Amino acid sequence: MILVWLTEALVFVLVVAGILAERPRALMLTAAAGAAAVAVPATVPRVRTALTRAFEAHRAAAVAGGAVAALALPFALRSSPYWTFVATLALLYVTIGQGLNLQIGTAGLINLAGAAFAGIGGYTVGLLTVSTGWPPWLAVMVAPLVAVAVGTVLFVPILKTRGHYLALVTIAFVFIFNVLMNNFEFTGGPQGIKNIPTLTLFGHRFTTAPRLFGVTLPAHANFYFACLVVTVLTTVIIRRLHDSWLGLALNTLRDDEIAARCCGISITRGKITAFCVGNFFIGLGGALYAVMVGFVSPPDFDFGYSLVMLSVIIIGGVDSIPGVVLGACLLVPLPERFRFLHEYRLLLYGVVIVLMLLYRPAGLWPAAVRRYR
Amino acid sequence: MSLLQTRGLTVRFEGLVALADVDVAVGEGETVGVIGPNGSGKTTLFNALTGLYPPATGDIVFRGRSVAGLPPHRIARLGVARTFQSSRLCLQLSVFDNVLAGMVAARRTGLLEAVAWRRRARADMQAALARARHLLGLFNPDLPARGWERVGQLPQIDRRRVEICRALAAGPTLLLLDEPSAGMSPAETRALMKDLQIVRDERRGLSVIVIEHDMFVIEGVSERVIALNYGRKIAEGSFAAVVAHPEVREAYLGQEHARA
Repeated sequence: MILVWLTEALVFVLVVAGILAERPRALMLTAAAGAAAVAVPATVPRVRTALTRAFEAHRAAAVAGGAVAALALPFALRSSPYWTFVATLALLYVTIGQGLNLQIGTAGLINLAGAAFAGIGGYTVGLLTVSTGWPPWLAVMVAPLVAVAVGTVLFVPILKTRGHYLALVTIAFVFIFNVLMNNFEFTGGPQGIKNIPTLTLFGHRFTTAPRLFGVTLPAHANFYFACLVVTVLTTVIIRRLHDSWLGLALNTLRDDEIAARCCGISITRGKITAFCVGNFFIGLGGALYAVMVGFVSPPDFDFGYSLVMLSVIIIGGVDSIPGVVLGACLLVPLPERFRFLHEYRLLLYGVVIVLMLLYRPAGLWPAAVRRYR
Repeated sequence: MSLLQTRGLTVRFEGLVALADVDVAVGEGETVGVIGPNGSGKTTLFNALTGLYPPATGDIVFRGRSVAGLPPHRIARLGVARTFQSSRLCLQLSVFDNVLAGMVAARRTGLLEAVAWRRRARADMQAALARARHLLGLFNPDLPARGWERVGQLPQIDRRRVEICRALAAGPTLLLLDEPSAGMSPAETRALMKDLQIVRDERRGLSVIVIEHDMFVIEGVSERVIALNYGRKIAEGSFAAVVAHPEVREAYLGQEHARA
């Protein structure tokens, strides 16, 4: 019990310290501490089993601790609107990552068009609110469905190609999406869509700074809490689907299509279901992004972001639901912190992914065996 | 009436005829052995029966309806389950997950229940898990306790057993076993023969077709034997009669030994 609280507190402190550390030396120290906190359990099996046992035995405590930490984060970051924004972005990456992981991790559909489906969500919100005057919350609810609907054009390659070939088709899809967004007039071309109206909840506009428990938080904290709710809901839904007959069927067809077919599993139905459910959540993440930043343009959804989404899954853990949360929480804020490295930052990023694939292909938090609890 | 009947079943790959004009009938509750040298078409016969290779000509009638040309998952749902020569388990998944995979088609709850009606979905899963435990326990009393381990950690013979459990989990009326003793020691093969007996006791009325290289296994389990060579059926009947058949002796031993 104490072990669980201590670990969670340590992780939380490290995350906040890592984000707030201003001087490069302090930053390096927190980064080293963070790396050690990850490396020690990963390499010393005794520490790892002790930690996993503690978390297994006190699941409720661990979840409660995580919830408190997540709710407390904007208060810790109250002096910095920018880092509140980055934390919200990390939450959106969790939502997107969960959807994408159902496709890539659970069903083995290598979808590198994540940025395009997020873009479809974002552009749908932009078009519906700015051009048609829909209320933003309604547009955010409809946008994921549009992402699913547009995804139907990929049904044929999804069913007819596998592995790298499917990856190539989806890469092509991102580029086509970008070219179209750059050239269509109704999407604003390279300028994109500006002045997307913000969300309001019971008359509270999300652009006004909220005051909670006597503390004034940055305006982005509104989105942080809204996205937290969406992210938790997404994660719970994906978890339940993963631990259902669907997750089992998808894992089976991912590992062996012939065996799956001879077990009575329809490959067509499985892949289509995974693809549509995944696109729904990717589109939802893109839609929330659009209302949060207030504009969408083609470079916000280019192929590079597909790679970031893929990296979240590879670093967190393929087919691992907690892994996606961890991956997004590491991968979204950390590169921001290393901005002083300029473009070498991206190089570092690539090196980390190659190292992961070489030495820890299952990710930092590998997928556990399904326990049906 | 027989449970399964093929008429003039032919499978072609480009110019190669892998299965030519094969007539096979299996009655309810019957166990039929299939023998033949390598490349004689035994596994192709299974692949045709399960829909993996649609027949070029001929028909497959299962429980009174033609299933030729149906996709594999539809045929599986009608009650045909199989194992594979080189085991096709999902090594990353747990033992239970592999057995549960056989029950996916028979599930009672769908996506909506999984997300929003948790109690019902969980009850469905727990019932399926109980059945998986029961099946695993039939073959090896230690297996249910290892159910949460990944299949890759099990020894070869237990993997075979898990694969048979997965096939049985679907509640089939026809079970196809493709060389269950492949890669096993004599002692393991004897254990496996006991397992095959368990299979037949567990589900009375279950029909089985078993492909085997090990004549000892074939003699022990099958009531009738079919011999294939070059994609054709060359002999059919009791084990003793088929083994004594001149064409079978020739196929296995070569012309000179067959004459001697």
